[in-house]
Amino acid sequence: MDIIGISINHKTASIELRESLHLSQDEILQFIPILKQTVFSEGYVLSTCNRTEIFGIPKSGKITYRDIQKNLLEFKKVDGLSSEHFLNYFSCGAVKHVLEVAASINSLIIGDSQIHGQVKDAFLLSEDLGFSKTLMHKLFESAVRVGKRTITETKIGEGAVTISYAGIKILEKIFSSFETKAALVIGAGETGELAAKHLRENGIGKLSISNRTKLKAEILANKLNGDVIEFNNIKESIHKFDIIVSATSANGYILEFDDVKKMMKERKGKMCSILDIALPRDVNPKVVDIDGIFYSDIDSLNIIVNENLKNRESQIPLVNDIIMDEMKSFFKWYNTLNIVPTIKDFRDFFEEIRLDEIEKVRYKIHDYEYEKVDSMTKRIIGRILHNPTWNLKRISETGTNFEEAKIYSDVIRELFNLDNKPENNSDKDFDNNGAK
Amino acid sequence: MLQTMQIMSYSLPVLYFITFLAYLYDFMNESKFLHNIKRLFLFLTLLFHVVYLVERTFYLEHLPIVTQYEIFSLLAFAIAFTYFLIELLSDIRGTGVFILIFPLFFQTKSTIFIKDVYLVNSILQNYPLGTHVITAILGFSAISISAAYASMYFLLYKNIKANKFNIIFKRLPNLEILDRLNYYSILIGFILLTIAIVIGFAWLPSAFPGFSYFDPKIVSTMIVWLIYGVGIVLKASKNISGKSFAKFSLYAFLFSILSLVLTGTILSGFHDFVN
Repeated sequence: MDIIGISINHKTASIELRESLHLSQDEILQFIPILKQTVFSEGYVLSTCNRTEIFGIPKSGKITYRDIQKNLLEFKKVDGLSSEHFLNYFSCGAVKHVLEVAASINSLIIGDSQIHGQVKDAFLLSEDLGFSKTLMHKLFESAVRVGKRTITETKIGEGAVTISYAGIKILEKIFSSFETKAALVIGAGETGELAAKHLRENGIGKLSISNRTKLKAEILANKLNGDVIEFNNIKESIHKFDIIVSATSANGYILEFDDVKKMMKERKGKMCSILDIALPRDVNPKVVDIDGIFYSDIDSLNIIVNENLKNRESQIPLVNDIIMDEMKSFFKWYNTLNIVPTIKDFRDFFEEIRLDEIEKVRYKIHDYEYEKVDSMTKRIIGRILHNPTWNLKRISETGTNFEEAKIYSDVIRELFNLDNKPENNSDKDFDNNGAK
Repeated sequence: MLQTMQIMSYSLPVLYFITFLAYLYDFMNESKFLHNIKRLFLFLTLLFHVVYLVERTFYLEHLPIVTQYEIFSLLAFAIAFTYFLIELLSDIRGTGVFILIFPLFFQTKSTIFIKDVYLVNSILQNYPLGTHVITAILGFSAISISAAYASMYFLLYKNIKANKFNIIFKRLPNLEILDRLNYYSILIGFILLTIAIVIGFAWLPSAFPGFSYFDPKIVSTMIVWLIYGVGIVLKASKNISGKSFAKFSLYAFLFSILSLVLTGTILSGFHDFVN
């Protein structure tokens, strides 16, 4: 099989390089025609924040992965990028890699379901541009199937694997519903924003943002349909919140033990969860001793994240089984691509001889005798061809050894001269015993 | 018939044990197969228990609610059945292992000590007594279940507090749901106990010449009823919640068990029917 491809991802290049090489959809739209013109008869391009991959069927045997790299680097000039940053794939390895990516076991975060959609979109874009034909379409179907099966048949995507999502998982074990709950996010930086987004996505009833720079808090609050609490007034307001997420870059505690103790008095003991995802911590960890307070810092949230990552890793063998399954059916199909035309030509060859021979006796015998000869010769040909046809199919359908199937196919084509049909039609040189 | 009844009596703890194991295994290992099938085990065990109780009723020619160990068997059934209903209605399946341990205990004790032949006071073979006892048993079952939910609440509360994300954290429903289940169980128990007490007050004075309002069982039941009543009022008025309510539920349950044991042994009055 002659599929080849290159990949640059989190294992081979820094985030800066990956970001610089990232191809937007518009860029992919411009790049695919170049690939079509220079290297591939069909293929696909996948580019996400973590990886850029180009796979396809070379236009000729002379094309190697170097040509694909050269094309990419000429199209997107990135300083510091060299062939060392690329992984190169051929044949079975290429198919396996495409399926591993679709199964999300090649992702930075194993089991990240986002990749399923990204692979699908990449293939669909190829199809829209006429860059995906029979082989790529079949590979696309296999990749989509692998993606679906990994979700339904394994636990690869289960469990929180980010700090803020792990925080949500803890909150879910405390509160039955977020709709009636109020949350305060202290800090409107990247971490605070992510946590606020997660809370909003999970249906928090009331969301408030507080930040030292009020403008930043206002921007985030507007974005997420929340309100703003003055940073200097936090201590007076915290009792109104069931959930407090703190993610500032402040040095020293924003909330001390006594602040939280006072807050719980005002809340009449009503439960409150504090997620301290700041480094250094924003809340005095001693607050965990206060009744009704659930305090979690980055270390405790990391326990969940690491455990879930470990669980996901334990699912990789199951995912590999799925990939192997799909590879088998892909190659079973692929191998028949060589055999099916051979079988057809082979049978046509015999049929033509049969028709040619019975035509010779057509006007020498009665019609009913002709019909008998016709059906008898059909049966003879059928019986002669049964075993070779069945064996050819069997060889092509078992396993991934397409080379073996190709050898058989080539031998038959050569022996019966199937590629030069006009010569076959000539029977002038044959005597009545079938010899030349 | 006696032999069949005895075989059934010995089979019941085995069935409860199998059901308990199914719930325990699913709790520990999250088995896809047992997740649904364990409910069927419970249903079949309950069905078997019903057949046993009916057979016993026909054999003894009165409801099997006279001796302590008959009550234990009925209590086992009531707890398992109440849990079955709660599981069906709420579809929260992770708590069964904490509750089904009670029916297993009560039924085992009943099977070991129950007597199949005894003399029974004719006054006990009537309808008001049946309703009185059954509502009281169902009421105690409900408060037993509330104690189980309170224990679960404490376990999960401590786990979250200590940032321990073990099997308790993974399998139990959240604290607010456990708090709610605890409250509803107490509410149901309180209503059933109220009915039992009302029927008792209406029927007992006419049925027993030696009836006294200061009978230890009546006094202790009234105290239990009052404690739960106060708890319900406090919870409804939002003066108590979460951990404090779970604590209340556990202490109240311990008190009710203690009072049952004391009035059943040391301080027995006219409620002692077998002798």
